[in-house]
This record gives sequence, structure tokens and C-alpha cells, in this order.
Amino acid sequence: MLGLFVFQLATLKLKPSVSSTINTRHEDVTCTYCGLLCDDLVVRTDGATVTPIRNACAKATAAYADSSARVTAFIAGQPAAIEHAITSAVNLLRKARQPLVAGLGADLAGLRAAFALAEHCGAVVDHLHGGALRQNLKVLQSRGWQTTTLSELRNRADLVVLVGVDVNVNYQNLIPRFLSPTAALQPERRRERRLIYLGPNQGAPSACGELPLDTLRCDTDALPTLLRALQSALAGGTVSGAPKRRKLLVELAAKIKAAAYPVFVWAAGQLDPAHADLTISAVCDIVASLNRTQRAAGLNLGGDDGGQTAVSAATWLTGFPLSVSYAGNTLDYAPERWSADALLRDRAVDLCVWISAFSPRLPPVAANAIPTIVLGPPGMTPAKNAVYIPVGTPGIDHAGQLIRTDAVVSLPLRQLRHSNLLTVADVLGRTLNALRT
Amino acid sequence: MTDKSITELRGGRVYDPAHGEDGVIRSVYLRRDGIVSSAPDPAAIKESIDISGCVVMAGGVDIHTHIGGGKVNIARMLLPEDHAANLTVRGEHPRLGSGRAAPSTLTTGYRYAQMGYTACFEPAMLPANARHAHMEMADTPLVDKGAYALLGNDDFFLRRLAAGADPKEFQDYIAYTLRAAQALAIKVVNPGGINAFKFNQRKLDLDEANTAYGVTPRQIVRTLAEGIHALGLAHPLHIHGCNLGVAGNVETTLATIRALDGLRAHFTHIQFHSYGTEGDRKFSSGAQAVAEAVNANPNISIDVGQIMFGQTVTESGDSMRQYAGSAFASPKKSVIMDIECDAGCGVVPFKYKDKSFVNALQWAIGLELFLSTRDPWRIFLTTDHPNGAPFTSYPHLIRLLMDASFRRERLATIAPDAAAASHLGSLGREYSLYEIAIITRAAPARSLGLKNLGHLGAGARGDVTVYVDDANRERMFATPHLVYKAGELIVRDGKIVATPRGATHVTRADYDPAIEKALDAYFATYMSVRRRNIAVADAEIEDFGHSPLIQHQARRNAS
Repeated sequence: MLGLFVFQLATLKLKPSVSSTINTRHEDVTCTYCGLLCDDLVVRTDGATVTPIRNACAKATAAYADSSARVTAFIAGQPAAIEHAITSAVNLLRKARQPLVAGLGADLAGLRAAFALAEHCGAVVDHLHGGALRQNLKVLQSRGWQTTTLSELRNRADLVVLVGVDVNVNYQNLIPRFLSPTAALQPERRRERRLIYLGPNQGAPSACGELPLDTLRCDTDALPTLLRALQSALAGGTVSGAPKRRKLLVELAAKIKAAAYPVFVWAAGQLDPAHADLTISAVCDIVASLNRTQRAAGLNLGGDDGGQTAVSAATWLTGFPLSVSYAGNTLDYAPERWSADALLRDRAVDLCVWISAFSPRLPPVAANAIPTIVLGPPGMTPAKNAVYIPVGTPGIDHAGQLIRTDAVVSLPLRQLRHSNLLTVADVLGRTLNALRT
Repeated sequence: MTDKSITELRGGRVYDPAHGEDGVIRSVYLRRDGIVSSAPDPAAIKESIDISGCVVMAGGVDIHTHIGGGKVNIARMLLPEDHAANLTVRGEHPRLGSGRAAPSTLTTGYRYAQMGYTACFEPAMLPANARHAHMEMADTPLVDKGAYALLGNDDFFLRRLAAGADPKEFQDYIAYTLRAAQALAIKVVNPGGINAFKFNQRKLDLDEANTAYGVTPRQIVRTLAEGIHALGLAHPLHIHGCNLGVAGNVETTLATIRALDGLRAHFTHIQFHSYGTEGDRKFSSGAQAVAEAVNANPNISIDVGQIMFGQTVTESGDSMRQYAGSAFASPKKSVIMDIECDAGCGVVPFKYKDKSFVNALQWAIGLELFLSTRDPWRIFLTTDHPNGAPFTSYPHLIRLLMDASFRRERLATIAPDAAAASHLGSLGREYSLYEIAIITRAAPARSLGLKNLGHLGAGARGDVTVYVDDANRERMFATPHLVYKAGELIVRDGKIVATPRGATHVTRADYDPAIEKALDAYFATYMSVRRRNIAVADAEIEDFGHSPLIQHQARRNAS
């Protein structure tokens, strides 16, 4: 009842509701639930319910089902009109000495608004997968790399090495969508295609079509050592370790050298954070060595929850990938120093703006100690001290754009159901306008 | 009652080569919807600004500058050192940014406007990366923009060429690509070579077959140039030829000009394609031979891709040649990518050194090309930003072209063996302001078919740059007094005073929708995305990008 009253206070455009009387089938829908951005989903909407009926992986199917119709904003645990919540957010931002804009789970329009707001407020900016994104950037900025993209993988690769990538839990469509389809521009590459998995037992692909699979098991933190041994085997050098393992490495090296276009796939977010950059560097070194005489490429999987879009947009808007600080008179790029987790843990910020439009993910627990503004899908229950503003999910409630894991392809997100939810760009744009006046 | 809407710029010397005006002292009348032809009713004049002693030109038009898209952003990501050493400070520009060789998009727009340029064209947009390129261009304020779509290394095109498809099919494919990528023109980069590199070919000459498809660069260039001619696109095929940077490639360049056999074509950053093999170092200037060929073939236009000494980053779709160049990366890191059965890219940081024989000779070759090409309407000023140098070096380059004694001073400072190997010292030509106005705005705008840019006549968009005349042309062109964008003052004495968004220019050409059906099937069978999703909708540019879309309609040539 209170909720209804609050809705009536709001202007018509602000009235939050998710509803549709139309039962509609949508084709070629872009899925936003991992960095692959599969764009071939067939989805049915029935009222507010969105159900994928073809081509969605298990993870995406569960994510589409996890949507709530409770669209109330909250201020300090009390239901509030959205306009009041925005006013509260503006007041918090005015008072903050060192705000943090984090999460950054948004489409491009939302990210543009987040950067504009952060610049105005002198905030630090980071993404919820900042740690994994930085592992890749550390390697990129120190040595560069040679990489490929998903269509090349699908058509050109005759050997795919999964370096600690667990496709059972994430990037679940990698094999069915890009590796096991029978058609390829170079049919012989597809006929000869085989997989090698390097990593812990449980991560080995449980299904790989009919593709032959070689597995070399090792703990995630042992991957750098294993890859250095593989590099040595590829160079025809000595390989240490148990005889059986040595033999296997030499055999794998022979297969890699015989391949026309081996692709080494990693996912920074699935590697041991303490050694991820070493693993990625080792992969890039192998690829670079191979390319002196034959062709080979790396492919990184990541950038979930708008992460690739956030890194790419940060880079073109500021000149720096994440994370950056707008606190001073100039931009300050200090990736480790401006990690959101570290800043929250060290109480180095006094306000957290948390954006997670793709999933109802709450800010890190450490944010509970400071005032927090949360923008996320309806139905979230943020901490008591938070201002919570429900926003639409891009690609479900409103149209948008996202960049895929390979940082090349970007895809349109279409609206799938009627929704009056504000977008992240709407909320942050209104906030910034209010701060300017 | 008359609406007071007109700004009069009074007393300046007008250089408007599109109308033959060479230093004519007259008023220019500006309004938000463009330039007004003759003196309006005095009651309509909102303000009259005395610019006596100033030089007036249309806003600059950069026909080839890598400002947006995947490879540019990779360059930014790869080089935080370039950015950390070049930070803008609060108050300097409307928003913060960074970078010199590969500046952030906001900073790029501001710096172009501060230099009096009001339109910039990204020359290497992969159709697979088109949405991303438009995202970045939308965040490049103040200037109009547009991009050229890459064709000729994509597997769809090569398969159809190998299959002997009908010319009409290629015309449809070109026209479709313009639409889907929201492109202004078509470019080919290392024709077939980027694709060949994916099959481990390390070089591809004009008549050498790509091993996968058995087609040659000559066939690819001809097919695209003929298709573009039939469709009647304003800008001809924009060619980054085979063998970029290879000693002896002047022969490839001359052979490619001959291969066109009178068809219109634009050869870009031709400095990088004008190298001979004479001398002890087996590296010499081919500039004279190239300039003579350009002079003799009115169907050919060029831009130079001048190099300047210092740190930059090279970024190109030419993964084959960039991979070869990665051995010389400075700092030692590079990115090479194979992309989407579409093309590729390579990003290699590089430092041009005036004491290096090769780099010094490259510098001289570029200037020789500028000074030896006779028709300024067919040569455009570029540094292939940032491959030869960042665009911010244009004022210095203009001084080199306009001031022979300054040029001789600079020539005396480069590697002496390179200076001796070049006959730059014997070229006394000095560009006039009129010629500079041609090569920096009138000619590129005309070549791109942009009827309302690059001139100061009635119907122009109202992009105007006012320079304080100064014998030091570098100083003069670095900081214009006033810059107007679409009739609105955006820069005064280097200070940005308004930040309108520029428009996005695209070309439309009619095509048989059957090509979409063929591509639907091709994408569904082989690619990682659906065709309808990789195509960029108008609304994405207009609504998400907040950029007006200016559509130029091509008129077919009778076959």
C-alpha cells in the first residue's frame, strides 16, 4: 500500500513498473550474462517474465529467471520515491570528500554517465571485475600480445588450448557455439580440430561435442610452471618432471607445432589472482615464439558484467584503462592503488556509488561501513545505510550497447519487455544535473 | 521584425579555393544553419567582429586520421606512459583527458578544434568493429567525423572473388557495407595480405596469390575500384597498398597506379610506399617517380603520411606489415590481432630518430612528395596520425612547406647521409596560403564529396577558422584566433568556449536486398554474430551517440 502511494507521488516517467500484456518472441537477442555476448538467443517474454527458449547456456537461463518485480527505491531501509532517492544521492555526493564510483555494471550509455559524474565529483572509478581486468592489462602493458577473435576461432583454429578455462561454470557456450559447429570457412581446420585442457581436474570440459580432448591436469597456481615447461618442449629443450608428464608435454608440443592455427584461451577471472599475470605472460610468450615460424594466437575471455565495455570506454574517454582517479587536478592512473576493493578495505573513500545493472550483486561488504548509493535491478536488499535506486537491465528493460570480450565486436541490446524503470544513464544524468545546479 | 542571428567577420583576408578566392578582403556572414552568401539586412546582424589583418579559411578537414576504433584504443591501453606524460589539467579543456600520440577521444576533439580543424575522418573502420568506432567518434567532440570501411581482406569478399562472382554482387556488397558500417567511403589495406597473414604468408606482392583463395591484390583492387566507380561514390577507393614500409615498394606503388588504368583511386600515406633500393643501404627515395606518376595520372590523388621525429605509435589494419615492424617496436611491446574473418590490426610503438638514416630519409621523402606533386587538389596534408606523427604536428609541417629557409635549417640537422641521399635541399618551392587552404580543407572535402565543408560559400555548414597572420606559420596555424563550428564560436585564442557535438557523415548507395539474405546465411553459418546485429542502426549514432547523421547519396555511373 505504501509502495503504491509512493508510486503516485512520482511523475509518470519516473513511475517504476515492469509489465507487459504482450507475449512476444524475440530472435537474435544479445545475452549480457558473460563476456561472450552470444547474440543468437531466442527469447519469449510473457508480461514481465523473460524466458530464453533457444541457445542460452545454463548460466544465462538462470540469470534471466532471477528477476524481481519489486521495484521500490529505499533510503536507509525505508521505501522511498525514486525522485527522493535521487535527491538523497545528490546530497550524499555533495558531502563526500572522496567518492568511489564502482561496480560499473552498465551499458555504454550508463558508463558514459558514470565517468561524467565521477569527473564532476572527483571520484575514483573501478569495475567489479577490476582485479581480473588488471591482470590482463599488466601483461598487455609490459609486453603486448598476439590475439584473435571468436569468428577466427570458429573458422581458423585447428587446435584450441584451454589454459585453466573452466567452461562448465562460465563461458559455457564457448564449445557448442564456436568450436563444435561443423561448418567452417576452412573445413579442414574444423575436421582436424582438437582440444587441450590445462588446469585442475574439475575445470576440464564435461562436454566437448565430438572434439578430441587431451588433458594435462595441474593446480591453477602451477599453470605458470607448466606453461614454461611446455614452452621449453616447444623449443625442443629439456623438460623436467615425472617421465609420464614429460612424455605428455612433448606430445602436446608436437601437436601444437603441427597445428596451422593453434589458439590459446585464458580467462583472467578464473586464474589464481596471485599468479594470473604469470600465466598470461607465459601464454603470450608461447604464442610469440610460435608466430616466428607459424601462426598462433591468444584469446582472453572476460569482461563480464559490462567489464570490457567499462575498460574500453575508460580508455577512450580518459586515455587510461581502469582504474583511474579524477580526484586531483589531472587524471591519475594507478591500477593497483585505485582498486575499489583496496580503497573500501582501507577506508580510503567516504562514499561508494555502486552500479550493477545486469545482476542484483551487492557492493563488497566493506562498503557497508560508509554511505552507499546502489543502482541495480529491482528487488535488491542493500545494507541499511544505502540509498537504493532500482534501474532497468540493459537488453531487457531498455536498449543499449556492449563490447564483447575480444574488445573488437560490440553488440546492440534491445528492449524485450515494457518497462518504465529508469536506466543507469537516466539516474546518473539526473544526479549530475542536480549537482551542477 | 528581422531576427538578429548573423555574425559578420569583417575585414579578414579570405582564402577559399573552392571559389577561387585568394586573399580577398571581404566579410563572411555566419549563421547557425550555415554561411550566408551576400551582405544581409544590417538589422539581422547580431555582432560584427573586426578581424582586419587576419586570415580566414574554412575549418580544416583531415582526410586520414586514426581517431577512433579498436586499434586506436589498443594503442591507448598499451601506452599508459604516453598518457601519464601528457595529462591535461582541470580548466584546460571542458573535460580531462590525456595522451599525445594516441590521445583520449575528448582530448582529440578539443585539440583538433584548437588547431582550427572541424572535420576528421577515421580511415580504417573494420565492419566488425564499426559500432565501436562510432562509439569513440561520438565521444570526440566539436568535429564532424566519418569513417572508411575496410574491404578486401574479409573472407566473404575473397570467397566470392575466387568463385568469380558477378560485378553487380560486389557493388551490392560495397553498398551494403557502407550502410551496415555507417561508412563514408571504402578502404583497402594490404589487399588480401591481412588475410594471407592468417595463413602464414609473410608478404604479398601485387600479382602474388593469397594461398587460401588464389586471388591477387591486383584483382582485389580492381574489383573494389570498379565497384566504387559503378556505384558513383564521391571518394574513390582509398588504397593502403601492398608492401608498406618495404625498401623497393615504389615499384609496387607504380604498378598499382598502372593497374588502375585510369580508374579513380586515392593512395594514402604514400610516403610509406615510396621507397627505392639504391645506395649502400639499399634504401632510397622513390618520391620523384611517385610524384611524376601522380602528376601524369589525373585519376590519382594522394595523401602523404609525413613523419616527424619523436615518439609515436603506429596503428594499422595491416597486421602482416605491422608484425614485421614489431621487431623495431620502441618501447618493446606490440599488439597483433587477427580479426573476425574480416581483417586484422597491428599496434607498434615507434620512435622516429633524426639521426637514423632510414627515419631521416623518410622525413625527406614525405617533403619531396609534397613539393614535387604539382596539383594541390590531388594531394592532402596528413601525417597518417599517429603513424607518421601526431596530428598536433600539422602547424610545424605547414611551416616546413611554406618556409624554404626553415626547411633548409631542419634539413641541416638530420642524419647527413640521408640529407645527401635526398634532393630535398634543391626543392625551393614554398606553399602559398592559398595552396595550404587547398591541401588542408578544400581538396579533402571535395574528394570526400562533402559539399558543405571545406569552403566559405553559401550553403557551407559554417565551419570557419580565423588566423592571426604571422610570418611564423607554425605559430599562426597552431593557435587560431577564432574557430566556428556550424556557425557557433567554439574556440577563441586557444580557449574552448562551447562544445557542440559534430555530425557523422555517411554515404548511402542503393543495393539489391538479396545481398542481405546471402549475408544472413553466411553470418549464421560461419560467423560469431548475426548479420542484423553487427549492422549499426541509424538510431545508435543519433540517439546513443547524440550525433546528427548526415547522409550523402551516391549516384550510379552508367556502365
